[in-house]
Amino acid sequence: MSHAVGIAPVTIAAWALRTPLGRDVDRVIARLCAGERAARPNPHPGYRCAAIAPIVEVPAASRHERYVSRMGLHGMQAAIEAFAASGLAAGPRLGVFAAVGGLRASWADLLPAFRDQRDDGAGAWARGLGAIHPFWMLRHLSNNAHALLAGELGARGDGATYAGATAGAAALAGAARALQAGSIDAALVVAYDSLLEPETLVELGERRAAWCGGPGVDPSAAPAPYQDDAAGAIPGEAAAALVLVPAARDGLARLRAVDGADGDREPRAASLARAIARLGAPAAVIDGAARAWPDLDAAERAAVAAAVGDDAMLTATTAALGQLGAATAVVQAITLAAALRRGTIPPIAGLRAPSPGPLALPARAVATRATAAIGLSTGVPGLVGAVHVEVAGGP
Amino acid sequence: MTARAAITGVGVVSPFGLGRDAFFDGLAAGATAVGPIRSFDADSFPTAVAGEVPLPVIDPDALIAELGARGATRAAAVVEPLARGGALRDRKIAFGLLAAAEAWRHAGLGDGAGDRAAHLVLGLGLEQAFLDDFAPIFAGGAIRWDAEPGAPLPPTRFRTPVDACARACHRLLGLTGPTVVNASACAAGALAVAHAAALIARGTADVVVCGASDSMVNPLGIGGMSRLGAPSPRRAPDACRPFDRRRDGLAIGEGAAVFVVEAEGRARARGARALATVLGAGSTQDAYRATAPRPDGAAAAAAIARALARAGLAPADLGYVNAHGTGTPLNDPAECRALHRALGDHAARVPVSSIKGAIGHLMAAAGAIELAACVMALTRDLLPGTAHHRERDPDCDVDVLGPAPVARAVAHTLSNSFGFGGQNAAVILGRAS
Repeated sequence: MSHAVGIAPVTIAAWALRTPLGRDVDRVIARLCAGERAARPNPHPGYRCAAIAPIVEVPAASRHERYVSRMGLHGMQAAIEAFAASGLAAGPRLGVFAAVGGLRASWADLLPAFRDQRDDGAGAWARGLGAIHPFWMLRHLSNNAHALLAGELGARGDGATYAGATAGAAALAGAARALQAGSIDAALVVAYDSLLEPETLVELGERRAAWCGGPGVDPSAAPAPYQDDAAGAIPGEAAAALVLVPAARDGLARLRAVDGADGDREPRAASLARAIARLGAPAAVIDGAARAWPDLDAAERAAVAAAVGDDAMLTATTAALGQLGAATAVVQAITLAAALRRGTIPPIAGLRAPSPGPLALPARAVATRATAAIGLSTGVPGLVGAVHVEVAGGP
Repeated sequence: MTARAAITGVGVVSPFGLGRDAFFDGLAAGATAVGPIRSFDADSFPTAVAGEVPLPVIDPDALIAELGARGATRAAAVVEPLARGGALRDRKIAFGLLAAAEAWRHAGLGDGAGDRAAHLVLGLGLEQAFLDDFAPIFAGGAIRWDAEPGAPLPPTRFRTPVDACARACHRLLGLTGPTVVNASACAAGALAVAHAAALIARGTADVVVCGASDSMVNPLGIGGMSRLGAPSPRRAPDACRPFDRRRDGLAIGEGAAVFVVEAEGRARARGARALATVLGAGSTQDAYRATAPRPDGAAAAAAIARALARAGLAPADLGYVNAHGTGTPLNDPAECRALHRALGDHAARVPVSSIKGAIGHLMAAAGAIELAACVMALTRDLLPGTAHHRERDPDCDVDVLGPAPVARAVAHTLSNSFGFGGQNAAVILGRAS
């Protein structure tokens, strides 16, 4: 193989986000550094999944509500905020790259269609499907927020929507490719996802991918990732947006991203190691995928240590924010860059007794002079996205 | 950094049947594969016809056998868990597997580490929701999600994950390279191939398996599109009449097209036959409206112009245009204006056709299967016709080919794909050297 190892960087010009710990980037970093956890009891007691990390804020009222779901609106509004902060102009040289986790259908919209259906599907249209809203299909299209955002801003350059658990990293990588090809001058990257839809919570609970706790157990007592007693992650949700410009321009940070390394015939650690290697840039701080199961976490630690050395620091912002699906990589790019600029690495929220193993795992915020960090995101099974951020000179 | 991307393998699942030969032969015969929906009871739906792959039921054993016939050695290991989990109810998963296996074998790739390091870039449509999974938890006018754990449902419940088809293809081929899912609606397939060519050109990958798979031929897909008013109300095989004065909507189709794209030098070195080369691609966004294309075609024209520039070609170099050509009142004239803007005088001379009248609109897979039609044009010297195009529309003033294919050797083809909300993609293929 003749793969070019090492990804050329681009510059982050502006950012905005919506997370379970708020929407102001500085405030989010402060809360992460304070070790706060966004987890709260799942309000639906019948679910196995015991805790969730929701965005509390509701999106601002929008004329696009008939076309886009709540998370799509969060994504659009974060993107518009980031683009305004960039001070850049829209037009044919502005691209839009979006990342979505998937359909995440609002099943309530379909209740009229379900009500009188027969098991054999006979007469389905007359039995309710004909009553679904004419815009139901539009509301559940994968690229609806992308399309509306392009129209709202007048962005007429390159664009694509990516889907799946590591779509955030794919969108960042796609935007960087377009910038480096010279077909656009700026790229707006927006990612949004929620793992809190009912069917997702049911699935995560049944697979024990989510922490299931027990009756009356306080979510703040959920074992943190990288502990021997870790027993599943906290599902979360987020929207985040970055404005990227060519590397020659100054900005908030430099960014590299690789999309979707995978390996079905080999241990997951190999995928992680390959993703880090493909970034081709060093870092002493890692924001782990933190699936919160001892075997998965141990494999991740081993792979990270092999790639960056035993002494690197491994944190896990998802211990505080929850697992963020397709939004993970973009949220990581923002939180890691902001933390490096502040000179403080957030701790692994709730970490009490880390499992033995390589890497330094912070239970409290740590002052740092590091200027680079890597964020890892994984899907199921084995997909990996990785982002590398680098700030100038540190605090 | 400028390696040229050669297409060395093609796999197709289309309403004409399984395999690229069935697809090419169907187009070459000027046939139509749109007909009554058989995979579910659509009699009561406003839309009762579709370009449906002739597999009303996806039978796991038959699928394993078909994949085995295409040289897939891991077919059972991949298909059996999907079948047990209920995921094969999402038809595009089987279509993607079949097309990927055919393309892999066609390219002559094997189990070596270099081949398996291939990247995978697939355009995929919406997750499929399974109405039948809701029946056990629907009570009192509401969905009782907390009643679900004891319900006798398969592991894949309520909907398939959006990337399920890509994961399955990755496992089937035993790949170790990155996987990316493009979900840019009807432009997804074209953008996936453009993405692959960019990876080759930049030296990021030596081999990329790319293309798209989609099926909306299910109650929610057909029902949702019907409520949106996109399909033709005609319940006949000629429901979709691209560029025709009488056109009144699209016909929904399903299927998949997957390509093996690799660095031309690598293909040559291993003695693989290049079928075509990906010379250039461009994408833009209309930034206009959610539900209508930009009428002046300006952004679509910019995508075409960008593809031409990247290919290093002039408009007159194009010998054939495979149009997006949905057969809807708004798309077709806007596309013709885009062609005039981008190609100038040549727009009136270059042959243009749309295969959507013959096979329907394959949604996320449309751009991929239409690129496969371009491969046919380049390898068989045969331009596909426009099924059901009979009455010229003055608003569509380009040289639209009629229903019959036209024998002609061309050096370069352009394929347009325009997705929901104004996502435009244009891909230019060239004859293999």
